[in-house]
Amino acid sequence: MDAPVAPPKVEVDASHRYGSLTVHEELKFRVNANEFVCICGPSGCGKTTLLDMLAGILVPSSGHVLIDGMSANPKKQSISFVFQEPSTFPWLTVAENVATGLKIKGVPAATIRSKVADIIGIVGLTGFEDYYPHQISGGMKQRVAIARAFATEADLVLMDEPFVSLDQPTREHMQREVLDIWRRMKRTVIFVTHNLEEAVYLADRVLILSAKPARIVAELPITLQHPRDPLSAEFTEIRSKCVRWLHATH
Amino acid sequence: MAATTKDEGRRSSIATAMGAGIKIGAWNVVSLAIALAVWQLASVAVASPFFPAPMQIVDAFIQLATRGDTTGHSLWEHAWASIERVLVGFGLGVLFAVPLGLLMGLYPKLYAGTRSVIEPFRFIPPIAWIPLAIIFFSGLTRFAFLIFLGAFFPIFTSTLVGVARVEPIHRKVGIVHGAGKLWILRHVVIPTVMPDIMAGMRVGLGTAWLTIVAAELAGGISTGLGRMMTNYAELIMVSHVIVGMLLIGLIGFLMNEVLLLVERRLFRWRWQVSL
Repeated sequence: MDAPVAPPKVEVDASHRYGSLTVHEELKFRVNANEFVCICGPSGCGKTTLLDMLAGILVPSSGHVLIDGMSANPKKQSISFVFQEPSTFPWLTVAENVATGLKIKGVPAATIRSKVADIIGIVGLTGFEDYYPHQISGGMKQRVAIARAFATEADLVLMDEPFVSLDQPTREHMQREVLDIWRRMKRTVIFVTHNLEEAVYLADRVLILSAKPARIVAELPITLQHPRDPLSAEFTEIRSKCVRWLHATH
Repeated sequence: MAATTKDEGRRSSIATAMGAGIKIGAWNVVSLAIALAVWQLASVAVASPFFPAPMQIVDAFIQLATRGDTTGHSLWEHAWASIERVLVGFGLGVLFAVPLGLLMGLYPKLYAGTRSVIEPFRFIPPIAWIPLAIIFFSGLTRFAFLIFLGAFFPIFTSTLVGVARVEPIHRKVGIVHGAGKLWILRHVVIPTVMPDIMAGMRVGLGTAWLTIVAAELAGGISTGLGRMMTNYAELIMVSHVIVGMLLIGLIGFLMNEVLLLVERRLFRWRWQVSL
């Protein structure tokens, strides 16, 4: 473990409860700048609550969620979110949807145009700028949502099982694309998934959460080179290790 | 997919859509012709001076349009008087109903807490307000008030209901990117509710015309299509009364078409052909 000189990008040390239900009990972890972290846990482990805390739209009952040493606040920091369910605005075109985050941040129109064109090229939607969401496929819509999240100079990109509704080939394709975008654009990514193979394929580090009240039960750094081969011995070994940890949480 | 095939696909679907449009237009001409023929046959069969044939309506129309009515007002004066009242009253209705519907939709407690004051008014027909309107108001104000009452509730209610349709995920997209309440209102709530507002406006427009004719029939003024019809009814000149009726139908229909056109323009995202 390297001794961090600069403060970590994200620092979580929080507990959260709704009435008598404890969702998170002293949930503690750090994420470094430009790191790709996957969080896995059994269903009902409070991942939505965790993401809402990271996005700054939910304040933990005790403890803190810090981004660059400051409490998470969507109005002050630049945080982006890719949701599990379809989240594009049906009344906006692909290009207008991608520009949404930039418009909220008050970026000048000329800058928005060039940034949107760039990112649309990166996610492979060139030629579809003027289409409406209902005219494109589910996979393309999710690409629009990813482009929207990466278009802003987001310090932190939160991804909530973004590929769960996609078919397997599209899902694999999107995983490669997200890695590619992440490498090109240098962002800190926190990616929640129930799919351990996906986590091992994508992450620099996998965090395993326990069932409620959720804590971090394991932290597995993954140093395999990209592109990773899910059939290789090393990959399978790490994956089985994750499976064992996940089963231990039950 | 290559850009050219996409464009071709689009063009051919536009061509199909246009072909369908022409077909529908043709069917409308046919049904109109059948309706006129039935009317003509019925008037021949009944053979009464109180059951005019379509041509007699045309004659009455030409007479009213070129020489005006018995009181010296032209048909256009009557028509414009009614249109002006409808536009002012309807405009006021939109101006109040939309913001109030949005406000109460966004703050359901506000609506829940005032329901008992608001809702009963919905069931008092605008026509029932005519006696009071005659006492309290005169001229344009009277009609504007009555039409306002008629147009307000359809628009208010559909706006209110529409706000509930806003997807929480769309709101969240705004919030996580740091948007404030005003941004969410403008860029999430209003675009979602717009189709409901427009639907409410079209219903409200119907109510507005219903109200204006009733209000004009009630008297106290010298112009308006309703007034003109009452005048001719007293003279038992059925053709002239029917001219007024048809003109109301036609103006209402045209206004509705204008709203539909606006709707189609605003909601391109719903109408455009899919891939």
